[in-house]
Amino acid sequence: MSIEVKDIHFRYGRVVALDGVTASLGAGAVGLLGPNGAGKSTLLRILLGFLVPERGEGKVLDFDIRRDRAMIRRSVGYMPESDCFVPGMDAVTFTAYFGELSGMPRREAMKRAHEVLFYVGLEEARYRLLDTYSAGMKQRLKLAQALVHDPKVLFLDEPTSNLDPTGRAEVLELIRDIAANRSIQVLLSSHILDDIESLCETVVILKQGKVAAEGRMADLRAIQYSLYEVRVKGDAGLFRKELEAGGSRVDETEDGLIKVYMPEAGDRMDVFRAAARTGAQVRYFVKSRTSLEDLFAGVVGVE
Amino acid sequence: MAVVREKGYAHWDGRLVERRRPWWPITRTGIRLAFRKKAFRFFFAGGFLPAFFALGGLYVSERLEDFKALVQSNRALLRIDPAYFRTFLVNPPFLFLLLIVLVFAASGLVADDLKHNSLQLYFSRPLSKKDYIVGKMSVVAFFVLALAGLPWLLLVAFKLVFAGNLRFLAAYPLLPLGILGYAVFLAVFFALLFMLLSASSRNSRYVSILVFTTYLFSDILSGILTGIFRTPYMGLFSLRANIQQAGSVFFGTKPPLAVPPVWSFAVLAAIGALSLVVLDRKIRGVEVIK
Repeated sequence: MSIEVKDIHFRYGRVVALDGVTASLGAGAVGLLGPNGAGKSTLLRILLGFLVPERGEGKVLDFDIRRDRAMIRRSVGYMPESDCFVPGMDAVTFTAYFGELSGMPRREAMKRAHEVLFYVGLEEARYRLLDTYSAGMKQRLKLAQALVHDPKVLFLDEPTSNLDPTGRAEVLELIRDIAANRSIQVLLSSHILDDIESLCETVVILKQGKVAAEGRMADLRAIQYSLYEVRVKGDAGLFRKELEAGGSRVDETEDGLIKVYMPEAGDRMDVFRAAARTGAQVRYFVKSRTSLEDLFAGVVGVE
Repeated sequence: MAVVREKGYAHWDGRLVERRRPWWPITRTGIRLAFRKKAFRFFFAGGFLPAFFALGGLYVSERLEDFKALVQSNRALLRIDPAYFRTFLVNPPFLFLLLIVLVFAASGLVADDLKHNSLQLYFSRPLSKKDYIVGKMSVVAFFVLALAGLPWLLLVAFKLVFAGNLRFLAAYPLLPLGILGYAVFLAVFFALLFMLLSASSRNSRYVSILVFTTYLFSDILSGILTGIFRTPYMGLFSLRANIQQAGSVFFGTKPPLAVPPVWSFAVLAAIGALSLVVLDRKIRGVEVIK
């Protein structure tokens, strides 16, 4: 595994950000998914050595996150969430500058800066002052500076935030192309389910600083349950309990929609049987499509 | 739709090197960015004027017979000794000029990085906090040495050339060291001061105002306190006076304040220490709000 963390704990003052996170992230594109405040960015920052965990250990490409920070930073490209640039610079100078700071020889850094700016689609604007860049251009620029030294691992923190639909599609396309290049591992942190679903092979879902689910996307998507959406008239609480006694997980939305996560071995007729036993009338019954969103809702509890 | 290059992502086939001075690209870039500002170029060029005037004085001092009509009663002013150099280098207008040049070059050194969140980009590279601070401080040091060091050492050489002998150097053998020492002292102090002030705000304009306010207000405060308490020790509140006190040590001349210069060094060192403490707290890859 190229990234491993074991029992990582971190808190900002009294606020617990990570509470015993353990995960192994293999090759390819890995998604770090979770609602805002779940601890995704904190985990990335710990992996980069910006923050030191209170407890726990971790490795990135076999380099220890406490001892070998310089080696990790040499091998990792980091695209932060917030806008960041150096005023007064153009894109070529900026990208070459950070290439040089990564350890590239000066001329090589300049040459490579041109290449990656072409790659991310900023070739026309590469001599323009960064102060004049749009949000989408800044996002591409951040990707360019993360790629300039040809990292082995790429940490992308909310790469599509603040982008319009076109810009988002373009950045996702770039990331997809990079992830397709098997020699670069991409760790994509996002709270946008579609981004993770469309790019990643593996996902780690964080909830309140803990790992709520982890695994290959294909396995998780082939969720081991069927999802039914039901509305009943009668005692919904009793009906829910009956379903739960039968091995299903049940959630109820604020507007009374009951989501039944039924094990694959289960039979949809069990829903009607449970209704009959509890005297509830089924007024609405739909088999819903299971997706990452359902899994996310299931493990994180977001509707 | 998407603009992915047809050939896709291409690897770089070079090798990353481990630099002995990883801070050097930061310094070089900081210097280059300063020269992109028109106002900076104007004042930086102006910073060499005192050296040109001093050069003129040196020349005239060696050709007194040719400039008899010009000098007449001003012969004392053209006595070339350490005090001559001190007069130019330690006087308030020169220090103020230096301050203006540095305001254009260095106000945004840290403030811009804080404002535009670029610290996280620096520290996602194999750079330590020390590398970053040294790299930025060296930008200030470069400009101070360029204005207060190199031209004045060259003037000593010119003096020898104009005289056609080494008598001047024999008479004042420590003068080049004094100039160098003073320039290095100024470079270190101004580097720490500007880093402190630049790290105090996210807005480089506020930093510029803060620089002038600190410099001028300390002078005014010192004047008021001296008026009230009638003791030269109140001069220690003035940044300018402290620098002049220190300067007199390097040139072996009488200090302007009737206070042991060691006090001035202590005040300036305390400012430097404060700067390092503030920098240690402010410069980090990620802003942690507890």
